Amino acid sequence: MNPSRRFSILDKLSIYLRLGSRNLWLHPARTLLTMGALVIGIAALTFLSALNDGWLQNMRENFVLTETGHIQIHAKGFQESQQISDAIKDPTALIQAVDRVADVRAWTSRVSTSGLASAAGANAGALIIGIDVVREPKVSRFREFLHAGEWMKSNDPRALMLGTVLAEKLEVGLGDKVVLMAQTPSGDLASEVFRVRGLLQSGVMDIDNMMVMIPLETAQQWLDLNHGVTNIVIRTDSFELVDSVAAGLKQELQVGAAVEKLEILRWMEIDPMAQQWTEMADVYTWIVLAIVIIVVLAEVLNTMLMSMHDRIREFGLMGALGTQGSQLFAMMIWETVILVSVGGLLGYGLGAWIGYYYSVHGLDLTAFATAFSFMYMSPVVYPVLSIESAVRIIGAAIVGAALAGIYPAWKASKLDPVEAMREL
Amino acid sequence: MELIEAVGLHKHYSSGEAEVKALDGVDLSIEKGSFAVLSGRSGSGKTTLLNMVGTLDSPDVGELSIAGEDVLALSRGERAAFRLAHIGFVFQAYNLIRVLSARENVAYVLQLQGTSAKERLEIADQWLEEVGLKGLEHRRPDQLSGGQQQRIAVARALATHPDIVLADEPTANLDSHTGEALIALMRRLNKERGMTFLIASHDPVVINAARQLYTMQDGKVVRLELR
Repeated sequence: MNPSRRFSILDKLSIYLRLGSRNLWLHPARTLLTMGALVIGIAALTFLSALNDGWLQNMRENFVLTETGHIQIHAKGFQESQQISDAIKDPTALIQAVDRVADVRAWTSRVSTSGLASAAGANAGALIIGIDVVREPKVSRFREFLHAGEWMKSNDPRALMLGTVLAEKLEVGLGDKVVLMAQTPSGDLASEVFRVRGLLQSGVMDIDNMMVMIPLETAQQWLDLNHGVTNIVIRTDSFELVDSVAAGLKQELQVGAAVEKLEILRWMEIDPMAQQWTEMADVYTWIVLAIVIIVVLAEVLNTMLMSMHDRIREFGLMGALGTQGSQLFAMMIWETVILVSVGGLLGYGLGAWIGYYYSVHGLDLTAFATAFSFMYMSPVVYPVLSIESAVRIIGAAIVGAALAGIYPAWKASKLDPVEAMREL
Repeated sequence: MELIEAVGLHKHYSSGEAEVKALDGVDLSIEKGSFAVLSGRSGSGKTTLLNMVGTLDSPDVGELSIAGEDVLALSRGERAAFRLAHIGFVFQAYNLIRVLSARENVAYVLQLQGTSAKERLEIADQWLEEVGLKGLEHRRPDQLSGGQQQRIAVARALATHPDIVLADEPTANLDSHTGEALIALMRRLNKERGMTFLIASHDPVVINAARQLYTMQDGKVVRLELR
């Protein structure tokens, strides 16, 4: 009956797992209660995280597709000045270069300036944009915002579209005249008469309250730009390609040192607000994650401390039999990890299932449509489940479990066998 | 050479303002193959001495060697390893791990030693048969009587082939018939296998079975009777 000694980590691990799982079932009500809290907490976290990711993705796409595009090219200084005098004088070579860059899905040119819109009843400040009526819908969502009337036609040089709120201010409707006044690059004031062909309603304040669109060629002639434009707006196939397309553009425009006279800006550089929203939402996710993990793990810590106190005599016995303090420590940690792993995986499964359901059917929040559109969000949200968030949530739960287990495990490992076996 | 050699063991506790001399200069020599019993009234120092021999407690003063090892020089972790390798324990109560079956309880210490799964289960079954518990291998402690639980503890204490088995009041929670049967089992294993036992007890059944009877009083060994 002499036992032979062999070392196997897996074999030693098996006793921890066996003891851990069985000890958890010594008090099924307590374990189920803790596990229930874990499941609900992790499920809520998973769903909220997926919802948040869906919102962010939606907001970013809407923001970019509404107006900005993924990348814009300006003459150097235009981003800062927003003055028409900082226009690209002749974009022909530039456009040819854009056409040579891979992964550019579509591009369009714009003339963008600020001015005054007047009608018989009133006048108001306006953001005037000259758009390529054919190319623009391939890059932005302006056409989707057409609320009344029709999209401008290339053979209608005096056509104008404007935001519904601005139209109300000016007291104009379809077919009415609007006079636009703006500065030319030389500083002279120029004015022109247009007819309202369409009304835009987006929910975005800048568009509805301020925006006026006219055909690009008309804007160029009226404002003495010849063929000049202020923005070349580019749409790539995806957000992941933005950096490589921007780099490709810079490389393409190195020839003839044209790049020195231009600024090539990615969407987050054009309007840092969207990037800040994304970052803020990320911070929010981490805060929610931290709160849920802290609450859940407080519950786990409580359970493990109760479990440790229940078994002080048993730990004393184990210590007397020759179990090392480090082995008792590992035993408690494994018990905590089992509890949290099972609860965490079930919780993630539940949260992912709810997230998946709504990612297919959408979560309809139309009641809050106005608030959502202000933030460039669609009222129907489609949660996005990502590997990154799964790793983040499950990883945080496991690490948190280990942390919650450390104190009771440390206490168990430091017990004096004789004292522990005397405990009542 | 003696298996256990204790010289001048002193252990004093403070109890309020009074000082309690749990051990007051104890000398002890136990040979391999002994069936020794520490007797005496409650508070005489039996359990303190047993805990010291079991490396679970340390004297304030004195020398103690077990199997040639100066155990008082060992660290906490080294003592745990020493116990695992050299000492088997049978306690008065709360002897078993409640979530493990009889077989797993016996196999637990073998697993700590790194014995393979197949081998430790075979050894556990053999020892459970030896102590008369064949067929009850898969029962958990709460499904067994007090006597059966103590037999499992004996099987576990012997499974690692320790140099000595220490038992603290092993019959205290058993009825007289079961207590007698347990002591008979220990005595048989001592005779047949030459295993060394040191038992602390004031149970007459245990005292009658002793081959070396140490009587303790007020922290001292006052008499040694060889039979």
